[in-house]
Amino acid sequence: MTLSQAVRTAPVRRTANLRPRHAPRVQRAAARPRPRPTTWELRTFIAVSGAIACVFVLAILYLVQSTTISTLGYEAQRLERVRDELRRQNALLEVENARLDSPARIDTEARKLGLVRVATIPVVQLAPITAKR
Amino acid sequence: MTEAVSPRRLRGLFVAFACATLLLSLRVGYWQTIGRGDLLEGATDQVRSDLVLSAQRGVVRDRNGALLATTVPLRSLYAIPKRVGDDAARANAAAKLAPILGTTSDAVAAALNSGSEWLYLRRRLPEDSARAIDALAIPGLGFETEPKRLYPNDALGAHVLGFVNDDGVGQYGLEGQYDAMLRGMPGRLVVERDPRDRELAIGLRTAVSPVNGTDLTLTLDVVIQTSVERWLKDAMDKEKATSGSVVVLDPRDGAVLALASYPTYDPSAVAKADPQALMDRAVSWTYEPGSTMKAITIAAAIDQHAVTPNTTYVDKGCAVIGGRTLCNALGRSYGTSTVTQILEHSANAGAVFVASKLGSEQLHSYLGSFGFGRKTGIDLAAEAAGEVRPLAEWYPVDLGTIAFGQGIAVSPLQLASAYAVLANGGTLYRPYVVAAQRDADGEHRTAPVAVGRPVSAETAATLRTMLISTVDNGIANGATVPHFSVAGKTGTAQIPSDDGRYIDDAYISSFAGFAPANDPRFVVVIVLERPQSKLLGTLTAMSTFRNIAQDALRSMRVQPDRP
Repeated sequence: MTLSQAVRTAPVRRTANLRPRHAPRVQRAAARPRPRPTTWELRTFIAVSGAIACVFVLAILYLVQSTTISTLGYEAQRLERVRDELRRQNALLEVENARLDSPARIDTEARKLGLVRVATIPVVQLAPITAKR
Repeated sequence: MTEAVSPRRLRGLFVAFACATLLLSLRVGYWQTIGRGDLLEGATDQVRSDLVLSAQRGVVRDRNGALLATTVPLRSLYAIPKRVGDDAARANAAAKLAPILGTTSDAVAAALNSGSEWLYLRRRLPEDSARAIDALAIPGLGFETEPKRLYPNDALGAHVLGFVNDDGVGQYGLEGQYDAMLRGMPGRLVVERDPRDRELAIGLRTAVSPVNGTDLTLTLDVVIQTSVERWLKDAMDKEKATSGSVVVLDPRDGAVLALASYPTYDPSAVAKADPQALMDRAVSWTYEPGSTMKAITIAAAIDQHAVTPNTTYVDKGCAVIGGRTLCNALGRSYGTSTVTQILEHSANAGAVFVASKLGSEQLHSYLGSFGFGRKTGIDLAAEAAGEVRPLAEWYPVDLGTIAFGQGIAVSPLQLASAYAVLANGGTLYRPYVVAAQRDADGEHRTAPVAVGRPVSAETAATLRTMLISTVDNGIANGATVPHFSVAGKTGTAQIPSDDGRYIDDAYISSFAGFAPANDPRFVVVIVLERPQSKLLGTLTAMSTFRNIAQDALRSMRVQPDRP
């Protein structure tokens, strides 16, 4: 019995009660004998079908996983580019910040505003004060 | 009725097919076995890219963390002229690009019409320009990023920092001295790419991460450095001097707080710099120091107990030594004078008197102890050693001339180190500019190195008192800083010519001093080459010291030690 025959053949119960009693024996003898699937065949069919289905599902899962990884890989690359650009912008801002903090620039800007440098800064000497206390 | 095919022809056909099949099978077998490697390699090469991952060059900061040098990837503009369009489109693109690139549209058009398939229009553009060009959305133009060393303070500290050339190699200053350390180690990335040049997430990927360069923290103080460069330029403009230099040292450990040389250059635009400007005159240039050496001569004599500050001699304006007569400046005579007054008057005859008491051997020995005639060991490229001739080559007169700083060559840095000995109580430190290095293992701080102890603490204290008197009562009065004690000495030296004589009417004016004199926080040496006011150039040097000292004392928040 082939596997295709097994698929087309309905399962048959092993009971005599189902056969009509009045059916002529001649007819039975003349009818082409149809092979009946055995339990072994059915189980094999189910097992093979299941295996094929599993392989198919696994293949699909693998494809889905591969596609997901690939997509995530491209996304990671995109994010890396964004990160690199943000780092670059950050470095440029740090340079700009250093330029703005430069004492020479501040001095120039202060002069433009008409500010002048103090000649001396009065400092309160702590030692004499603490000595008096 | 079809004609029957003869069996012979059928057999021939069969044999032909069989042979063809056999040959093809053998060929397939060959490619699957012996030639598999070549085939695989050829196929892999089509999708594999082997990239060098450049390491980030180390960042340089000042002692307070202010950024001095960093590397940033800047965008370079390239063009594929064919994609820009026809002649009209290229002319239109050139007209739009020219004002942003700061050039003429003809120049841009010429580049686009040069026949090149691919060319850079401008490398490492400022970010604003790159954004403006990006906004134009001209077809056929694109950007690539390339690393660029940036110096946010422009020319500030140029001679300390040095620069990085277009090949990424550090030259001069720190960039040259610490190039290998700053550069780091490049990495490597082998990866497979898809037809759109994107990395494949699933596929070959071999990566060796780059090791970024070491970050450096300097002893330099940006505020003091700015002040030094400002006042040095002011002095240069006033005196029209050919060159000038200033060194500011912390005498307590030899840390360089500021170092300036003039003429200077912008490390970001070295191509435009005068080659003479690249020389660091504070470190790589030597000169005859003149009277600033008198303090060293007298320190040696006092340390050897050959004289005391109160030892007297009769100053007749000139002194005879080795059959030669050496005179004071302008031929002045001061009569009976003390050793302290030698410094106050800057008397050459007095220096000859002290040297005679000390002797040639001792003077030569002390010059070596103070670090003259050899490199200080500062961590900067191209340091000059100066020159102290071997004692065997000294003529008798050399004892007298070297006593007041002629016939000896020193660098401004050496002189600052020697004055730091007097300021800190007698210890000679190796000057240094890198305070700390930070790499993957953490921060490594530089420990100060004491090279020697040329004079005792008592001698150093005595010299401090004498140099204070020189500023308060003597020739260096122009260096006085209100509310602070200052110790220092002027120097005016003649310039030797190639024929061994001294050039007439050309001088080097200098001042070396420290403040507050009783607890020195910094030593400053100022040198001006060929000032316009000639002998009076020391007045400018002293006023420059005063201005720098005021700024430094203010910046360091040092309490006044005088009412």
